[in-house]
Amino acid sequence: MGPSGSGKSTLMNMIGCLDTPTNGTYEFEGELVHEMDDNQLASIRNRKIGFVFQTFNLLPKATALRNVEVPLIYANISRMERLELAKESLTAVGLGDRMHHKPSELSGGQRQRVAIARALVNSPSIILADEPTGNLDSKSGVEIMKIFDELHDKGNTIILVTHEEYIADHADRTIHLFDGKVKEDVRKGKRAEPEAIF
Amino acid sequence: MFGLIWENFRISLSSIFANKSRSILSVLGIVIGVLSVTLMGTMISGLDATFEKSMASFRSNVLFISRMDWFGGDFDWWELRNRPRIKQEYGEKLRIRSQFVEAVAPTSDRGGSIIRKDKQIDTRFFGTTPEYLATNDNTEIASGRFFTEGENRSGTRVVIIGAGIAEALFENENPLGQHVKLGNHKFRVIGVTGEMGTFMGLFSLDNQAIIPLGTFQRLFARRGWMSIRVKLNTSNIDEAKEEIRGHMRVIRGLKPTEEDNFAMPHSSTFESQYQAIKLAIGGTGIFITALSLIVGGIGIMNIMFVSVKERTREIGVRKALGATQRAILSQFLMEAIMICFLGGLLGLGIAFGFSKVINQFFPSVMPYGLAMVAIFLSIIIGIVSGLIPSSRAARLDPIEALRYE
Repeated sequence: MGPSGSGKSTLMNMIGCLDTPTNGTYEFEGELVHEMDDNQLASIRNRKIGFVFQTFNLLPKATALRNVEVPLIYANISRMERLELAKESLTAVGLGDRMHHKPSELSGGQRQRVAIARALVNSPSIILADEPTGNLDSKSGVEIMKIFDELHDKGNTIILVTHEEYIADHADRTIHLFDGKVKEDVRKGKRAEPEAIF
Repeated sequence: MFGLIWENFRISLSSIFANKSRSILSVLGIVIGVLSVTLMGTMISGLDATFEKSMASFRSNVLFISRMDWFGGDFDWWELRNRPRIKQEYGEKLRIRSQFVEAVAPTSDRGGSIIRKDKQIDTRFFGTTPEYLATNDNTEIASGRFFTEGENRSGTRVVIIGAGIAEALFENENPLGQHVKLGNHKFRVIGVTGEMGTFMGLFSLDNQAIIPLGTFQRLFARRGWMSIRVKLNTSNIDEAKEEIRGHMRVIRGLKPTEEDNFAMPHSSTFESQYQAIKLAIGGTGIFITALSLIVGGIGIMNIMFVSVKERTREIGVRKALGATQRAILSQFLMEAIMICFLGGLLGLGIAFGFSKVINQFFPSVMPYGLAMVAIFLSIIIGIVSGLIPSSRAARLDPIEALRYE
């Protein structure tokens, strides 16, 4: 959590391997991210990270299924396997019956669920969600948070950026940022073990 | 890898068809380029076929001795004008001196109309000797007969008309023994030549009339222009030509330092002229093609820049999801190639339609090799013009691209 300009997005980009630090090191599951070139970053994003954006960022002309397939295409997974994984992932977020709809035919909550399915499809180590409920009404927001809770319960690591206190309440560990520095680090949940990622 | 190519293929098609009118406009240059190169090829193939057909009846071991060449080059008009006439007796002299002469026939021709009752046809008629038939493998007497040496010498007013004239003046009647008027003089039809068709679709060989040279000289021109047809007994035209040139120089009394004051055209002259025409058509076609392909390439490059700009966010998303630079590059390159390829196909399709129309006027075929080259060329244009926009897309910073509105 943190106000605008506190460095949340920069931290997200760094963790998400979209950006590399100008200073210091970033080690991710034993791989030195700060030394990677663009292609290696792309590969680690593809294999280890799932993104969920505030604005969904789905491909507008593709069906839900094809949207979810995209990361698998870049991972060079065969067509049959791709379809299976994508269907599985969509079913997991409760969209088994909406697979062939385009984003424009889905509600905001459903779109975000497609995005979550897309983030999940290559079984990433971390799911990064940047204000995932920011563009949703509160009912859909609750739905989405329920899905995140479920994913979390299944053992997924989720890093979520938010302004909202009630969203942050879902987390086991809350880090407050201010002016690029960690101001506060609160562990409260049952799974908040000390050796988490920082 | 194949998955990615297939995916890119799908993306490119959906992108092209999502912006149909834009795609068509931007690909116009390619369409015109491919159209012009294939039409030019079709044209040339048609010309070739027609030329071959015409030359088949024209190409022969017949040499002409005349005052001027068939095709003016960089001649000095005064020199040409002051050249002595070609005389009938040269033919006989050459026959005696040259070892290559099989038959000679002096011809002298002029334009005029042939009249029968109220029907009239404009044509060319020429006077020659009975040996003419021996110098021309393609003229056959379909009905009646050719004139005799006696008729030639006495200047009898007899005429052999072409199939076209017979058709025009007599329709279903038998022209033999009937009378026609050449200018103001009455002639009796004694023969009709067989159909020979047209030369290059330009003039009909069936619209000419043949009369005895003696008659021609008496009635029309005693000292008219003349050329001599020399039928050679060899197919080695060059050797024969050199030998006969030597004899002609002797006959003309030329000093070694003087240039020839006569010309010896042969059907091969026509061929070299034709090659020059073909080269000019081909050159023009290639110029137009190159120009429109360059313009087309620029159009494609422009539209690709637009496409990349429009889809900046999509590129950001794809990169976040793990697309490498190469994946993005190939996506946009594929789009550029596909749009050019489809444009090429479109051009080819239009060209095919055109070639059918052209075929109505003169027989031609669309050369498929050239069509392949045209398609290949449009793919190359796609690669060349798509490379810069695609690499720009590939190098986009994912964070900025994701933030792009």
